[in-house]
Amino acid sequence: MKIKFIFTFLLFTTVLFGQNSENLVPKDAASVFSINNISLFQKISLDELVKYEFMEEVQQELFDGSTSGKTLKESGFDFDQKFNVFYGNGDDYEVAGFTFGIADKEMLFEVFDDFQPMESEYPGVEFYISYFNRIAIKGNAGVLYRVTPNDRFVNDITDSVWYANGNEYPWYDDFYDEINWDEFEEEQTEDVEFFDEMEIEENTSNPIETEDQELPAASADPTEKTYYEFRDSIELMLQLQFLKKVNDELFIEGKSLISEDKRFAARLSNTAEGTFYIDNSRTIRKDYDIRYMRLHYPTLYNDLYEVYKDNLITGELTITDHSIEMHMDANYGEKLGSIYEKLTDTKFDKKFFNYVHKDNSGFFTYRVNLRAAYEQAYDVIVPILEREAENTKDMAYSLLLIEIMDEFLNKDAIFDTYKGGMFASYSGIKKVKTKKVIFDYDDETFEYTEQTVEAEEDMPIFTAGFSTDRSDIASKLLARICKIAPNWTKHENYIEIENGMLNAAPLYLIVNDGIFIITNNEDLAINNPKGFGANSLAKATQKKALKSGVAYSYIDLGKAIESIPKSLFSDRENELIDITRGKTGSLEFTSSGTSRNKTSFNLTYNFEGEYDSSGTYILDLINSMYVIAK
Amino acid sequence: MKWKLFFAGILVVFGFSSCIEILDDLTLNNDGSGTFKYTINLSSSKVKVNSLLALDSLDGKKVPSIDDISLKIKEVITQLKESNGISNVQMESNYTDFIFKLQFDFNSLKHLQDAVVMIVKTESKGSNFKEIESRWLSFDDVKLVRSIPQITIEKANQFKKEDADLLKLGSYTSITRFEREVESFENSEAKQSKNNKAVMLRTNAHSLTQNPSLLDNTIYLVKEE
Repeated sequence: MKIKFIFTFLLFTTVLFGQNSENLVPKDAASVFSINNISLFQKISLDELVKYEFMEEVQQELFDGSTSGKTLKESGFDFDQKFNVFYGNGDDYEVAGFTFGIADKEMLFEVFDDFQPMESEYPGVEFYISYFNRIAIKGNAGVLYRVTPNDRFVNDITDSVWYANGNEYPWYDDFYDEINWDEFEEEQTEDVEFFDEMEIEENTSNPIETEDQELPAASADPTEKTYYEFRDSIELMLQLQFLKKVNDELFIEGKSLISEDKRFAARLSNTAEGTFYIDNSRTIRKDYDIRYMRLHYPTLYNDLYEVYKDNLITGELTITDHSIEMHMDANYGEKLGSIYEKLTDTKFDKKFFNYVHKDNSGFFTYRVNLRAAYEQAYDVIVPILEREAENTKDMAYSLLLIEIMDEFLNKDAIFDTYKGGMFASYSGIKKVKTKKVIFDYDDETFEYTEQTVEAEEDMPIFTAGFSTDRSDIASKLLARICKIAPNWTKHENYIEIENGMLNAAPLYLIVNDGIFIITNNEDLAINNPKGFGANSLAKATQKKALKSGVAYSYIDLGKAIESIPKSLFSDRENELIDITRGKTGSLEFTSSGTSRNKTSFNLTYNFEGEYDSSGTYILDLINSMYVIAK
Repeated sequence: MKWKLFFAGILVVFGFSSCIEILDDLTLNNDGSGTFKYTINLSSSKVKVNSLLALDSLDGKKVPSIDDISLKIKEVITQLKESNGISNVQMESNYTDFIFKLQFDFNSLKHLQDAVVMIVKTESKGSNFKEIESRWLSFDDVKLVRSIPQITIEKANQFKKEDADLLKLGSYTSITRFEREVESFENSEAKQSKNNKAVMLRTNAHSLTQNPSLLDNTIYLVKEE
């Protein structure tokens, strides 16, 4: 009986007073990255942590020296609780931050030493403030967050009130109206001499203070404020209003993401080292084009949003001794799913493998059925456009063009020529023959003449190809071009474009066996135009590719990644690629079959040797996902 | 176009470890006037140059297009044509093999140096290079003193180590020609032509960035009869 009482008491106190960090993720968060096993991060310094982009919204506090030389272990965090990084950008405001468990509040505020306690209107919740950031602590869990009104929303309200109060356009400057231009023209012919005022203007780094340079004080009457002072006031009031909304939802109404979205709750139950949740149906709303559409074509927006709803990416990261695995489920609604399902309703073209050498550094292939996807997309999208066309002329015009093209274009020829399946392979860097000019000096006079001689330069070797059922069209076009273009030469099994590769080396086109191939691989074009045969892609890799769903990719990191230049990719793409730079191993990407609701993807990074800090790998991956999702 | 960028970028990663060939050719008449020729030959790196040109930016810096380069060359030519004591300015730009040849006549070495200083000042947009006005060429009838302009040394010092290393296979050739025969010269690395009227110095571009005085020379001419 006693034991039963103790058990009941413990359960009661846990439910009533205990608080898990995940319960403090606001319901407005559209992207959440949860680290389950944060003991992995005990060795990571806070200085290292704050460099990650996912910390940027709240990191100014952490850059003030209070984190210097400290690790997460010394920060008072509870390593038995999840660490959840979240971000959400709604129509009116964005909310960003992270939630955490608290083991030692004193140590926590040695790190967050800029935060000052503030009065709380919420029973059982402590609040701390530092500039625009807040920390809220409930039980043994805390959330560090910032709520920021969206600029557009602030501008709309500010402009609206500003004009309603009879003010001018805020950027209007009457300076030019008041200039006596005749006088100005006379003045500008005069010699300009330096004088004190100019010196003050130039001396911006160390300005000279003068008594009569006081800024105008803001008045209680908002109409006497400048536009920007007024805007600041509006922004501050909106921020407080939205902050209250977030706080009310979390601490009074008990609404958090975990209570409002069962999909998030389900994902959190996963015990992998890290999990992620990205609600694309909400993040897409911040896209400028989507907002424009919402404003000008509200019916279309609603209809298309209906197609896009339920678009959610969830997944988890698992670390083993020699691999990191990322599993990702791309979930979508039935309408979008119907298009995806048709898009992938085809088989891999096995003939591709014959054109990939077994010693390749990287290989990628995908299979899509463009014709089926087009027909399905037409069936889904056109009825939506028809509804909008009832109301707007320009949409009717767009629909007219689409219907004309659908009726009169030869879809058979288009989709049979390019069916949708393609492959690409990278074979590393090889020497190719080029020509260079040298100067030949005469010993008698040192006069020189130019001579063109053979040379060699490094060239990355690539092959790309796609399936076609209309090889006849490609062959006919290429034959004609060979007659016209002087640097195109038709050989028995391939076409050579002289200096087609960076104006220095030949490029080859091969049409064979229902595949159109572009390559600068001389060995493929000249010696193996019908494929590498016994030297083609390893059977085991072929089997894996065939078993994969819509796409398959394999990269030998040791051979390939180091030669991929950063400058080719956007910062976001580099975030992902950087994870594997400087490491040896392989990266394999596979996918499941596509259903009406979901496609699953797996990215497996197998590496050799030991890794220094699995926590860093996880943080790298989470940061990549955060940057991409934001 | 992405595939083209991909090719280009990969090549750029492998860098300019191959050649850039620079040739300066100074012909000095007895009266101090002469002809200056400056040639940059990138033909042995044309794959890499084309790769660079296919990129929008590299290491966060904009990569100029051929139009940008062409425009810049025209600006320099215009400045030279407007310079005092400079005449017969010619420029030959070969964008297939990437060979650029500049040639002009000068009335005196002072005019030549003034023109170079003016261009450097204009192109450096007010950057304050030390001793930009210092002279690196002087001729007193029987003796020519040639050194590397201070601006070159300062620029070389600004090279990052990895950038400087990329020049290892490049070459720099400096030829000085006279109407009269050469009596002797001080740089032991220099060679004299068989007709005794020209002196050549060759070094690799990397060594030159590390030690610009490699091309310093004092050449003594036979006295005019």
